Amino acid sequence: MKIWQFSEQAYHPAFQQPGAMRVTLPQSKCDPFEAGRLLNRYLDEYMLADELGLNIMVNEHHAAATCMSTSCMTTLAILARQTSKAQLLALGIPLANRSNPLRVAEEIAMVDALSGGRLEVGLVKGAAYELFMSNRQPTGFMDRFWEAHDLILAALSNQGDNFSWEGEHFHYRTVSMWPRPIQQPHPPIWMTASSATSAREYGKRGYTCATFLSGAVARSVFTGYREAYVQAHGEQPGQDKLAYLALVACAGDRKTAFARAEKMKSYFTTAARLDPQFRNPLGFSPVDANIRMLQAGANAMRPRMRNGDPLPVDGTIEQYMDAGLFFVGTPDDVHEQLARFHDETGGFGNLLMMGQAGELGHADTVDNLTLVGREVAPRLAELSTQPIEVRYEAVG
Amino acid sequence: METESLEELSFGTLSALDVMGTRLELFEAGSGAPLLFLHGLDGLEGAAPLLHELAHSFSVFAPSHPGFGASQGSPRINRVDDLGYFYLDMLNQLGLARPVIVGTSFGGWVAAEMLTKEPGRASQLVLVSPLGLPTADRREQHVADIFMLSRQELGARMQVGDPGPGSDMKTLTKLPEDRLRRLMRNDEAASHFGWTPYMANPKLGDRTHRITSSTLLAWGEQDAIVSERYRQDWRKALPDAEVEIFAGAGHRVHADQPAGLASRIAAFAGR
Repeated sequence: MKIWQFSEQAYHPAFQQPGAMRVTLPQSKCDPFEAGRLLNRYLDEYMLADELGLNIMVNEHHAAATCMSTSCMTTLAILARQTSKAQLLALGIPLANRSNPLRVAEEIAMVDALSGGRLEVGLVKGAAYELFMSNRQPTGFMDRFWEAHDLILAALSNQGDNFSWEGEHFHYRTVSMWPRPIQQPHPPIWMTASSATSAREYGKRGYTCATFLSGAVARSVFTGYREAYVQAHGEQPGQDKLAYLALVACAGDRKTAFARAEKMKSYFTTAARLDPQFRNPLGFSPVDANIRMLQAGANAMRPRMRNGDPLPVDGTIEQYMDAGLFFVGTPDDVHEQLARFHDETGGFGNLLMMGQAGELGHADTVDNLTLVGREVAPRLAELSTQPIEVRYEAVG
Repeated sequence: METESLEELSFGTLSALDVMGTRLELFEAGSGAPLLFLHGLDGLEGAAPLLHELAHSFSVFAPSHPGFGASQGSPRINRVDDLGYFYLDMLNQLGLARPVIVGTSFGGWVAAEMLTKEPGRASQLVLVSPLGLPTADRREQHVADIFMLSRQELGARMQVGDPGPGSDMKTLTKLPEDRLRRLMRNDEAASHFGWTPYMANPKLGDRTHRITSSTLLAWGEQDAIVSERYRQDWRKALPDAEVEIFAGAGHRVHADQPAGLASRIAAFAGR
């Protein structure tokens, strides 16, 4: 299993403000000098991950104290230059919230060239509440996503002449990549799924499929992916096509590890702080999906603990661990917990590890990453890379 | 989706009408001079009390706009400009030469678009709290942004009286599925047509001078959606229009004072 260090790069001093952490949080609460110090600190931690042999994942959000990286590719452009070994994953670029997919392709090509071909690219829809910043049309979101996807792939993989594009949503007179990406036909493409249905589409296309903080649901996501992959490609996908995102708090002793986990937990509690009308802008979700959500109630989408109960947002560290969202303890503990989760979900080849989250400080993050890099990663690398039979039903 | 019966519209008939390949839900009631009613963001069902009153004086034709209620939507019909042409086609199909045309809120915008394209097509035009003109000037907003309000706050601000059903999350989740579906479709269609530019056609104000039908502009005095400045913009866009202000009514004048609005419409139309 490969490990990817990931931090949302929060402006955590704002967590003390009352109210929403996204969309409506006043920008006057941001001290730009403090923001700059924190951003540099998070970059230092990414560089440490590179030294430790870990890989790197970056995301982006907008108008949020929970994530100051407002552009995956800007952050990765820095890391392309400042790291040497790590694979660099943008997960992801919010396509349906982007007005200019050609610009997205150009940025991918530039960072791929700059990094010597170490870039991997997640093409994601984008968060619903960020329609309020992008102001892109909520209806027709998925049509626009796939047209942008088609254009970007066509641009990156083009070996022939420059071309023009007259689509339903996008129009360009000249598509010409200067520079072109090193990786051909294009850097590995990632997508994210929270259900077997969406995973099937990615299995068919052979893209890497990641699921975030979904606990037991990861198993059905991966199963859906494998089934569609086998159907389309006639063979089982390698585990490197599957990824799971979770938080990891590792320390020399359990007490310290749990203390770290407590500092990271504000990632979960702040992510939930958003006024309800921004969660699901009118026209964003299909009518049938809205009806199902309303009828199922607020808890339907929450990850489940092993006893079947929904995981409370302000749950304990133990509850988050029980649901498979948090791996906490000594290197032995973390290895054991991850190996078990790996087996329970049928196996996945990438751990997208939040080794920094919430209010976890620099010294703690450095120690966390170092222990994972030196003591956990080598043992996880030995986990079976072949698809394995699902042996436990407990997480279903 | 299928057109089903709606209890509050039991005084007339709901049927399906194919207009240029789009299946429309059409409500018809009453007798007298023909009147085309174009509903607002609250859908056909939200105007039931007004339609009931209007049916005493008129033959009312009230479609659900494409994508609203049980009317089929289309990605090709995504501008209110498109709706303007669409409804002119529908009038031809129904053989309605010069009906009275009444539009509330979003429906007022639709009516204005129709009349800029065929300026004399209404015998009389009534625009109640219309949207459609630019709703903001850079940082200054003249119309409340419905997409930024919680369901509860929006529900409360739409009229002076009690909010419509499903205006808060608690009652919403308890609605029968067909009702829930209509509300979710109305929401989706509001976004489809009105997300950006927000509830406006930037060209509309350049075209309103074409409207030759005699026009009545009406607002509720306590409208908490459109500002006084926005009403002035509409008065300037239609300088010859009569203006009626309903004291004690909000944005949904038709919900707060259905009888008063209906009799004013009938008087304006000479019926």
